[in-house]
Amino acid sequence: MANLVIDNVKKRYGETEILKGINISIKAGEFLILVGPSGCGKSTLMNSIAGLEDVTEGRILIADKDVTYTSPKDRDIAMVFQSYALYPNMTVEQNISFGLEMRKVPKEERDVEVQRVAELLQISHLLDRKPAQLSGGQRQRVAMGRALARRPQLYLFDEPLSNLDAKLRVEMRTEIKKLHKKLGTTIVYVTHDQIEAMTLADRIAVMKDGQVQQLGTPQEIYDNPANLFVAGFMGSPAMNFIPTKVVEQGGVPMLELATSTTVALPFPKPESLKDYVGKTILLGLRPEMITEPQPHKEGQPFVTTTDVEVEVTEPMGADTMILTRVNDAEINCRSNPMYPADAGSIIKMMFDTSKAVAFDKESGRRLDL
Amino acid sequence: MSNLNSTSKNAVGRKTSGLDKLLRVALYTVLIVVAAFYLMPFIVMLITSLKDVEEIRTGTLLSLPASLHFDSWSKAWSSACTGSSCGGISPYFMNSFQIVLPAVAISTLVGAINGYVISLWKFRGSDFFFAAMLVGCFIPFQVILLPMAQTLGWLGIANTTSGLVFVHVVYGVAFTTLFFRNFYQSIPGELVKAARLDGAGFFTIFYRIILPVSTPIIVVTVIWQFTQIWNDFLFGVAFSGFDTQPVTVALNNLVNTSFGGKEYNVDMAAAIIAALPTLAVYVFAGKYFVRGLTAGAVKG
Repeated sequence: MANLVIDNVKKRYGETEILKGINISIKAGEFLILVGPSGCGKSTLMNSIAGLEDVTEGRILIADKDVTYTSPKDRDIAMVFQSYALYPNMTVEQNISFGLEMRKVPKEERDVEVQRVAELLQISHLLDRKPAQLSGGQRQRVAMGRALARRPQLYLFDEPLSNLDAKLRVEMRTEIKKLHKKLGTTIVYVTHDQIEAMTLADRIAVMKDGQVQQLGTPQEIYDNPANLFVAGFMGSPAMNFIPTKVVEQGGVPMLELATSTTVALPFPKPESLKDYVGKTILLGLRPEMITEPQPHKEGQPFVTTTDVEVEVTEPMGADTMILTRVNDAEINCRSNPMYPADAGSIIKMMFDTSKAVAFDKESGRRLDL
Repeated sequence: MSNLNSTSKNAVGRKTSGLDKLLRVALYTVLIVVAAFYLMPFIVMLITSLKDVEEIRTGTLLSLPASLHFDSWSKAWSSACTGSSCGGISPYFMNSFQIVLPAVAISTLVGAINGYVISLWKFRGSDFFFAAMLVGCFIPFQVILLPMAQTLGWLGIANTTSGLVFVHVVYGVAFTTLFFRNFYQSIPGELVKAARLDGAGFFTIFYRIILPVSTPIIVVTVIWQFTQIWNDFLFGVAFSGFDTQPVTVALNNLVNTSFGGKEYNVDMAAAIIAALPTLAVYVFAGKYFVRGLTAGAVKG
C-alpha cells in the first residue's frame, strides 16, 4: 500500500500533446477513478503510471519514491486489463503464479499464495483450467487474482468491467468495492462509465483533452461540477441545460422560464449573475430537481411550480421520466410513477433550484462558484 | 437476414427433391473432373516410372504398365548419371536436406522474432522498417544473383552449403517476417504489458507466452519455406559447388544426361523422388496445421 503523486505530467507524441500537465495526488489506501470520454488521455496516464509509456515531462512518485524512469517491473504495480490479458497457454494457476515465478519466489510459497488468492476470489475450482475454458466473469476474477498474488503497492484497473454483460458488471462492481474495503489497497481505476465512477470511487478525476477537469469526491462532482463538461458527463440521465435569460426582479437577478406561462426562478447565488442581467446563460438542473408538486416542499425558498407540456414519458419502475420542453430546450424530469402525466397534456411540475448551477453559454465556465 | 430465413426454411420444410439430387451429382462430377485434371500429370509420371523403356517407346502414354518394373527407381536413386558422375540422385537428395533444414529453421526463427518486435515492441520507425522488409518479397530471384555472388565471395562461403543456407535465409526472412507479423497483430498488446508488469523480459515473454500460441503460423511458415527452398532451382544452380548441388539441380542434370536412348522411366522416378519430401510435409504437417488452427485459443 502506498500513496501516489502525479506531478505535472506531460506526454507528447511529436506535435500532439496527449497529457497537458496532470497533477493528482492520492493517499495510501485511496480508490481513485479516472473517468472521461475516449481519447481524453486516461489510458495514456494509466500506462505512464505503470511505466509502459514514458512521460515527456513531470514526475511520478509511488510511496514517496520517484519512479518516473523506473522500469515497469520494478515499480511494484499490478494491473488488470480490459481484455484481461490472461496468458492463453497457461492454466489459471500458472497465470496467477507467473509474476511470482518471475520474481524468483520459491515454489512452496507460490503455491500458498495461489491458494490464498483463489480462496479470496472463489476460483479454487478453476485452477487447472485454461483461460479459453472460462466464462467472462471467471476470466475477470482470474485477472484480479493475478494482480492480487504479488501484493503490490499499487493496483491499476484499466476498464476491467467493460467486457462483461450488464448484470455481471454490477455484481463485479460490488465485489471490487468489497475487496477494496477488505484489503485497503491503493487503486487507480480507469473507466468511461460514470456510474462505475460514482459508485466505486473515493475520489474521481474527470478528464478531457489531456487535462483534469475536476478532482473531487463523487458527491462534490455530482453537486458541484466545475464546468459544463463535468456537469454533462456525470449523472444519468444527464443534467438538464436550459438556456435562460437573466432578468432582474426587485434588484435580484432571476431566471426566466417560459413554458405555456412565464415564471422567474430564484437562484441560490444571485449575486454571481449580476453581470449577466439581460443576457442568456445555461441553467443546469438535475432531473430529480424537477418533480411532481410535493406538498411538503411547498413554500420553501427556491421552489417554483409551473405548467409544462408532456412530450413523452418513460416509466422506469421506481420513477417515471417525463420529457418536456422549456425555453425551447428538451428537459428530463423525474416524477413519481403515480403522478398522472399523459403525452400531450399540460401538467404542473415543481422546479427546485436550490442546487441549480449556472454556466456561461459560450465557454461552459461555471458562473456561480 | 432474409437469406438465412429462406435457407433454413428449405432445410426444414422440404424433402430432397429430384432437382437437388441432380445438382449433387453435377457437383461431384465437376469435383472429380477437376481432381482428375490435377492428378493426371502425377499419374502419368507414376505409371511411366513403372514401365520399361521398350514399353514407353510404343507411345501408349496413359495405358497401365504391362508388368511392373521397379529398377528405374533404384537406378534413379543410386546409379543414374548426372553429368559426369554416376551415383544417382541420392547424394544430392542429402545435400538438399542439409540446405533445407537449417535454412528453414533459421529463417523461421528470425521471422518470428522480427514479427514479435514489429507487432508487439513497436519502436520509432518500426512501421517503415516493416514496409522496407516487405519490399523484399517482391524482388525477383534473378535480380539478386550477381550481388549475392559477390557477397558470398566476400564472406568466403561461395559454392558451399552454408552459402546456400545464407542465401535462402536472407531471401526467406522477408516472407517469414510478414507471416509472423500479421499473425502477431491479432495478439492483444495487453498480453505483453501484463507480462512486463509481472517482471518478464523480452525473450522470456517471447519464449513463455508468445511462442506457445504460435503453432499455426509456425506450421504455415515451415510448409512455405520448406517447399520454397526444396523446390528452388535458380539459387541452387547459381551458388552451389559440384558436390553441394541440391536435388533439383541434380534432377535437371540427370534428365539432360543421356547415353543413347532417353530413359523416361528413370527421369520420372527421379522427379517423383525429388518431389516426395514436399509432398510428405503437406500430408504430415497439414494435419497439424488444422489442429493448430483450432487449438490456437489466442482469442480469449
